[in-house]
Amino acid sequence: MIAIDHLSRPGRLHDVSFEARPGRVTGFLGPNGAGKTSTLRVLLGLDRARGGTALVNGRRYEEWPRPLTVAGALLDGSGAHRARSARAHLRWLAASNRLPRSRVDEVLELVDLAGEARKRAGRFSLGMSRRLGLAAALLGDPPVLVLDEPINGLDPGGIRWMREFLRSSADEGRTVLLSSHLMGELAGVADDVVIIDRGRVVARGTVEEVTAGHPTLEDAFFALTAGGHRADGASSRDGHAGGGPW
Amino acid sequence: MVSLVHAELRKLLGLPTAWIGIVLGLLAAPALVVLNASAARSAVAEGLTQDPSDIGFQYLGIGLLGAMILGVVVVSSEYTPTGDDTPGARQMSATLLAAPRRIRLLTAKGIALSLVTGVQGTITAAATLVLTEQVHGSLVPAPTPGRVAAAVLYWVLIGLLASAITLLTRNGIVTLAVLVVNSTVVSLSYLLTKVTPWAAYLPDIVGAHMFLRSIDVPVEIGPVTAGAVMTTWVAGLLAIAAVLFRRRDA
Repeated sequence: MIAIDHLSRPGRLHDVSFEARPGRVTGFLGPNGAGKTSTLRVLLGLDRARGGTALVNGRRYEEWPRPLTVAGALLDGSGAHRARSARAHLRWLAASNRLPRSRVDEVLELVDLAGEARKRAGRFSLGMSRRLGLAAALLGDPPVLVLDEPINGLDPGGIRWMREFLRSSADEGRTVLLSSHLMGELAGVADDVVIIDRGRVVARGTVEEVTAGHPTLEDAFFALTAGGHRADGASSRDGHAGGGPW
Repeated sequence: MVSLVHAELRKLLGLPTAWIGIVLGLLAAPALVVLNASAARSAVAEGLTQDPSDIGFQYLGIGLLGAMILGVVVVSSEYTPTGDDTPGARQMSATLLAAPRRIRLLTAKGIALSLVTGVQGTITAAATLVLTEQVHGSLVPAPTPGRVAAAVLYWVLIGLLASAITLLTRNGIVTLAVLVVNSTVVSLSYLLTKVTPWAAYLPDIVGAHMFLRSIDVPVEIGPVTAGAVMTTWVAGLLAIAAVLFRRRDA
């Protein structure tokens, strides 16, 4: 369970409130620069908010003694120093949260990096880096997953794998919160949607609720965000050519 | 805390740049004993050496470059971009996700660094002083245990000082360049002592008084005073760096 309550950060976030519930995939949508990453970084204790609270299973992320067992996060890049091998990176992470060493090989297997375990992270492709980041997120087998643009840098096979992974994680009862500016990738996998624009939440609810009155989630998104604010006020697919988030 | 220190030790010892610091620190001082042997001998013979007991110890003052490198690397490695595709991504994110309580994290880092530099300093001091005795025999008085301990303490404190400065600048290259130039090529602190005697209380100069007897500065500073002043410098800089680190976005 993730509870974001009246979060504010000067110039970035204005009174942002929403929840992500267990057993559901919550899509956090918005154009680039809308405040998605900023919200997630505050939630994870990386950036500071001026006001409001962000709780993971009832506590601030910093307050959990072994946080990797509570929430797993995938942010920009792999998080591994480029001189370190994938396995060495995961081993120090495991040591920091008192996780068994055997878990390192398990997660490497899970993200299909077992064969590259000794390779230095600096030599990884973008897709491999994302998978290493995901392996780190899964290390503590956490009930909550927070993923910032998880589809970025993945090939079509990887995208398909990620969608199935997100779905099955939620079906196992995990809370899954993922941000994206790619609507099409999200429509099929999300149960709930939060749309943020210029630091404010402009819509939230189930996919059906948010889409209501629009042909597709994509159309709803354009109508609700700056991407749809065209001179003619139209919120159609024509918006793509108008410098929208696509 | 034990698990965090363990993780930080793994991280530090897993970096190739840290091993440059470890090897350089271990080899520089003993190598100088041998390379500089005849020059040191003639300096004593000609009465140029104020206190022959400093021979050996003065090389430790150069070998501590190794501790400096380790102090810088333990922090700068967190801020190195992890890949060309993602210029904003740094190891620091992974570190803080695993250990979000920042003061605890810094404490663990400090302990891990001090363990490594402490062991390194002890081995280097022992090797350097034994070698000095082998090379110079009775020319150089036997070192007292207190002085050896002070040299190792200086070694550890310099590592912590370097890490505090790197935490403030968040840039390893600039910090390392300034520290290396200051301690090898031109000592700005030493030059400042020609302007004001107070400069003798700058951390690198005052710290050397802990174990060296004949330092050419205008004020007399005893080893205990020197240790106290040096420790205060390091504690102060660490405190400022920690407050900022706690407040700033990662």
